[in-house]
Amino acid sequence: MKDLLRLRTSLSEEIETLLNEQIKVEAHSSSVYLAMSSWCNRHGFDYSAGYFQKQSGEEREHMLKLFNFVNDLGGRAISPEVTNIPQDFESFRSVFEQALQQEIYVTQQFNRIADRCMKARDYVTFQFLQWFLKEQVEEEYVARRALELFDVIGEEGTGRYEIDKHVPKIKYDNE
Amino acid sequence: MLNSLCQPVEIFKTEHGAVYQCNGRNCFWVEFAGGKTSFKVEDFLLLKQKVEAIDVQSMANSTTRATDIAIVMPLRSERCFVLTLTDVLNFRELLQGAKAMLDLNSLIYECLHAMAV
Ligand SMILES: [Fe+2]
Ligand SMILES: [Fe+2]
Repeated sequence: MKDLLRLRTSLSEEIETLLNEQIKVEAHSSSVYLAMSSWCNRHGFDYSAGYFQKQSGEEREHMLKLFNFVNDLGGRAISPEVTNIPQDFESFRSVFEQALQQEIYVTQQFNRIADRCMKARDYVTFQFLQWFLKEQVEEEYVARRALELFDVIGEEGTGRYEIDKHVPKIKYDNE
Repeated sequence: MLNSLCQPVEIFKTEHGAVYQCNGRNCFWVEFAGGKTSFKVEDFLLLKQKVEAIDVQSMANSTTRATDIAIVMPLRSERCFVLTLTDVLNFRELLQGAKAMLDLNSLIYECLHAMAV
């Protein structure tokens, strides 16, 4: 008997669902970063506002990369519903701490999906995920370095001003 | 209804219904609650997801008439399913059973054709 499921897509129902969940996570990240950008802007942290806005754009790119992959393989990419975006933050420092926590969560999600791909022997998707796993190394690095500035520079006096100025200069060049 | 183009193969059958695959048109026929309707592969999977998403718990707890039935209206289809709690459970069993058989068919297909090459 013909395999109609496979004719439609090479993605299993499980992997397709996981990828759609990740599309949602990336969209959520994008919106959270945008909220962080707005907060920084309101509080006079101009450079950080720009940094978070750029991050927001990158997260949307990630979302689209996953979105197109699902559709290219014959699956059904779902335009995500994004809710529960925090608009207010405790402090300048806590914004960066939350950013790092978000990136850690994303890394864990990708590890989980990669693990499911291995178990389902879906090496096509597994291979596709490599880009994201590598990207997460950079994302976590930058977020962690940014948070560390709060200890390295210190928040006293013009500290926050200096931190803000340094944030966009953080680069990961360990390719 | 079924015509000569379709040579439906039975995928899964329960007391309450059956799912057939049509190899001529690459679609499925779902027989349930006194009707037989064809669905494209994607629409069939969506139907299964919709039926799985019905909140049977709240249907069971409900005391008002309006909420003790569930209505499923698949797009691109004239069929409309009006389901009681028991119907939902029976329909789920049918669609999930069919999906499991289709997954099994995928495995078998892959093995057979790997050997044939
Ligand atoms: Fe991302
Ligand atoms: Fe990120």
